[in-house]
Amino acid sequence: MGAEFNFGLIFDYFLKLLPFIKISLIIVGSSILVGLGVGLLVALPRMYKVPIFQRLSQVYVSFFRGTPILIQLFLIYYGVPEILKLLNVDVSRFDVLYFVILTYGLHSAAFISEGIRASVSAVDRGQIEAAYSVGMNGYEAFKRIIAPQAFAIWIPILGNLIIGTLKDTSLAFTLGVMELTGQSQTLGLLNRHFIESYLALALVYFILSVFLEKGFILLERRFIKYEKTSVEKSGNAFKIRNLFGKLNRDVIVVKEGTRL
Amino acid sequence: MKLDLSFIWTAFIQILPAIPNTLFITVVSVFIGFLIGTFSAIVRIYKVPFLSQIASGYVTVVRGTPMITHLLIIYYSLSMLLDSLAKNYHLPFNSASIPMMVFAIISFSITAGAYLSEVVRAGITSIERGQIEAAYSVGMTTTQALKRIIFPQAFAISLPNLSNTFIGMLHGSTLAFIVSVVDINAKAQIVASTNWKFFEAYIAAALIFWGITIVIEKMTSLLEKRFSVFSRGGVK
Repeated sequence: MGAEFNFGLIFDYFLKLLPFIKISLIIVGSSILVGLGVGLLVALPRMYKVPIFQRLSQVYVSFFRGTPILIQLFLIYYGVPEILKLLNVDVSRFDVLYFVILTYGLHSAAFISEGIRASVSAVDRGQIEAAYSVGMNGYEAFKRIIAPQAFAIWIPILGNLIIGTLKDTSLAFTLGVMELTGQSQTLGLLNRHFIESYLALALVYFILSVFLEKGFILLERRFIKYEKTSVEKSGNAFKIRNLFGKLNRDVIVVKEGTRL
Repeated sequence: MKLDLSFIWTAFIQILPAIPNTLFITVVSVFIGFLIGTFSAIVRIYKVPFLSQIASGYVTVVRGTPMITHLLIIYYSLSMLLDSLAKNYHLPFNSASIPMMVFAIISFSITAGAYLSEVVRAGITSIERGQIEAAYSVGMTTTQALKRIIFPQAFAISLPNLSNTFIGMLHGSTLAFIVSVVDINAKAQIVASTNWKFFEAYIAAALIFWGITIVIEKMTSLLEKRFSVFSRGGVK
């Protein structure tokens, strides 16, 4: 099978993988941007119960959460050019990267719309009533009272989503995008040191996830100043400490799906 | 080129026989993962020295890396290990004699174990401390209290999370094509490779996955009703 295991190579490969972090991060960043736009559009009809559109966005969310991202990648890669061909638009020469970003964007939009809905509905109903009682109108109440609180609740959900998307980008190599996973496969093929190159790959992803996770914890702290109990569990709740500090956070019991 | 509706149907029929493969991998790895997860969750809750640090490290590392890296690392390192063992001790088998599905199941179990560890831990810690104290006060041992009082309640509470993890693993099982297991995804590719109608084949595969996911969600909500009778409206 492979060549003899060589520990030092892991570090070697690790350094060689570093430049490819950029592509993975580009995919994550642009698809989250696409996801935020589409996700908001999908969330609105359901929050305001717009007939027909409400149903459509339900189907949209159900589809993108109900099928594997790998299938969606192929579906969009093969499907979008064919659909656009009917409109006489030729996209078959477009870079694969655009299709990948579109897929991850549409995929994360489904999760983002659910996240937005969950965070807005997690804000206590009394808050908006209190806002009305001091004379605010609907828009003011949303902007000054609901949105800031919902945003604080939303941050950890968004954090999980971004980390999930980062891990999902490891599938982009199936369409031939040279990101981290694709590159580590190439490195492994060079002299058949597969284990070392994949360990280096895991290490890169792990470090990225840890950084993102830490970043979001800091961000979360920044935004929940107004109220300690809404996001964090109360003091007697079980907290674990491990090698990496407070990395294993409580599973958020919002139906957001597990992202592998 | 027009969308070939009839081929979607043909592909759909041809992919159907691959469903058992996908379900088998998913169910077995979630089951083993649940055992690993429960063990590591309990070890962490009771802060068993040494073991709890290992469990935390395991959960952190696995949750911080993509599932595909677990599969690749397990596949290459296990087969290398087996081959060198077979060579040194002249065993009558090598990595090629082990079905590929075994590698997929081992790796997916490890992945599921880490995610389920968090689910189980969240479930158990969401049960009030008073419950276990009450169990002790009527003379139960810790094992009895966990088995009869804590687990049933924790199970009801973590059902949505369990089902999410199950669906996640179902979707993750599409990675099995990497170790050339013919699951729904791989079958779609095979079906399409005869006439290059990839779009149609993947529509069929997507519909199958969508259907299975909806069935799981419906079953979960039925189970939820059944298992949360004890809490009068507290839990969802």
